[in-house]
Amino acid sequence: MSSFNIHGVPVSNGIAIGKAHLISNALLEVIHYQLDKNQVSSEIKRLSLAMNEVRKDLLKIKKQLQKDSSDEFSAFIDTHLMILADKNFSEKPKEIINKDSCNAEWALKKQMDFFISKFDKIEDEYIKERKNDVIQVVERILKVLLGHPSQSSQISKGNSAILVAHDISPADALQFKKHQYAAFLTDMGGSTSHTAILARSLNIPSIVALQNARDLIKNNEQIIVDGNQGIVIINPSKEILKEYHVRQNLWGIEQQKLSKIKNIQSKTLNNEKIELLANIEVPGDMDSVKDNGASGIGLFRTEFLFMNRKELPNEEEQFKIYKSVARSMKGKTVVIRTLDSGADKLTSADTTISANPALGLRAIRLCLSEPQLFNIQLRAILRASKFGKIKILIPMLSSLSELRQTKLLIERAKKSLNNQKILYNNNIKIGGMIEVPAVAINADLFAQELDFLSIGTNDLIQYTLAIDRTDDRVSHLYNPLHPAILKLINITIKAGKKYNKEVSICGEMAGDFKLTKLLLGMGLRHFSMHPSRILSVKKQVLNSNTQKLLPWSTKILKTKESENIETLIHKMNQ
Amino acid sequence: MIKKKMKIINKLGLHARASSKLTLLACSFTSNIFLIKDKDKVDAKSIMEVLMLAASKNTIIYVEADGIDEKEAISSIEKLFLNYFGEGE
Repeated sequence: MSSFNIHGVPVSNGIAIGKAHLISNALLEVIHYQLDKNQVSSEIKRLSLAMNEVRKDLLKIKKQLQKDSSDEFSAFIDTHLMILADKNFSEKPKEIINKDSCNAEWALKKQMDFFISKFDKIEDEYIKERKNDVIQVVERILKVLLGHPSQSSQISKGNSAILVAHDISPADALQFKKHQYAAFLTDMGGSTSHTAILARSLNIPSIVALQNARDLIKNNEQIIVDGNQGIVIINPSKEILKEYHVRQNLWGIEQQKLSKIKNIQSKTLNNEKIELLANIEVPGDMDSVKDNGASGIGLFRTEFLFMNRKELPNEEEQFKIYKSVARSMKGKTVVIRTLDSGADKLTSADTTISANPALGLRAIRLCLSEPQLFNIQLRAILRASKFGKIKILIPMLSSLSELRQTKLLIERAKKSLNNQKILYNNNIKIGGMIEVPAVAINADLFAQELDFLSIGTNDLIQYTLAIDRTDDRVSHLYNPLHPAILKLINITIKAGKKYNKEVSICGEMAGDFKLTKLLLGMGLRHFSMHPSRILSVKKQVLNSNTQKLLPWSTKILKTKESENIETLIHKMNQ
Repeated sequence: MIKKKMKIINKLGLHARASSKLTLLACSFTSNIFLIKDKDKVDAKSIMEVLMLAASKNTIIYVEADGIDEKEAISSIEKLFLNYFGEGE
């Protein structure tokens, strides 16, 4: 038994160790066979009976659910019942059996394929994914037709079974809940799939989009699910297993401790308030922002609005989204970053592919070259500023003239709103991303003309060290602890201090709790990170005394080699 | 027959849960009820048809009802639309 790893999209955190339990995919077993004309009516009856049985099953599950008072789940079941009752769904396969004299399974699958092809043409990602509801209902009927025993009866008790399936229907997942699966692994799915939502609500690790996990993993094989990193380890060696048992215990203890500090104010031992903000990509991330007690949104990436679509989003659409986020934060900071992608992501713009897209026409450069597109976004942000504490963040500045040009366009957008007598916050704060080394070096000049600075460490590292992180051959050279990086961050923090402007970090460094003390020592007071990182960073903050950290960070800033810096940070954290 | 223009304002559009609510509501009336989006016209009482209409946020839908309770049907459906399908956003 050889050990190997597979990677997927982690959608629910945690670590689980257990035996694989494969759930069959009835759809894969569907074969076609021809019936004699005289068998047709009994075949149709067989299908009706199967559908009826599934209906009864679903009703039974729903009844159990009502006892557990789980509204969200029972809504899933309602949808499945309605699909089952829909004539388009239930009658068409019978017509197919009649017309083609084929078996019920085949007719059912044929009709399902028709629905899927229609769903696949839908552009809205969320609605598109609902084709899975149809597939899941079909699967249930197929299982009855094929004579599979009910899935749940096969499951052994205990909490060490790890479910491996092609996809999970909500109805299945509910039954699995009772059997206390330790983790969910699926070939399909995304972060909005039922599997993901349910796994998070059950608080068990889950990795989806594993593509062919069901083929690679065998029943009863031992597996480790690392839901924090999206890694599945099959047949782990003794050493790895031991290591993960330790990690699992630590994780459990850590989670318990962390949940206790959610509502505690974020301040250091010497009473300095530290702002811990969240980075979000889509408005849907708001739940986890609240769950982790973020004090605001430090970075709202707006790229999602512009991706995967034929037409660019209009002002109204953008306005509504910005407004909804501002409103739900109820007066807490919401930093909206203007479009930060390259021209390749915009279908309407020129799509010349450049050799170095990271150094090409992107972010503010693109916006300045497409003033109309930029104006729409600026107007939408300004209009939304009336509904909360919105700030504007400009990505990828590389010169003062770009900044001045941008500010001019903001003034112009304001003027056009004035002319139309549309209200907005005239004092809206304007900040700049510090991610191009040239700007970090001259941070004091930018601090004088901006209201706040936000260091984007991911790009700053990439640009400073000339490392393409997506290139496997050089990605090991990507190093946040390179002395030059710490120097640039230090320059920026000092510049902010000098001109009394807020400085935050919104790159991955802000969410790495091992670096929290170093950054606090360097004078950073605003951190913005993925919501799931907030509590572990907060824990560091609560245990820190900034005055005592200062000599450490001074020493680290004088250190020449990354290796020695790492050792010092390790000591600093003890 | 009544026909009324409505707009999808809830964040997620006519996804599974909103579609079920709409379909359930439509089924409670005896009138024939249709949803019209661009060239597509679907039976509001069929969840499959409603789902595949793929009406996302900001889509304009014409709701058509024909029957003895058409007035009530239109006004309750409009209420559901305006109420964000009970989703709060």
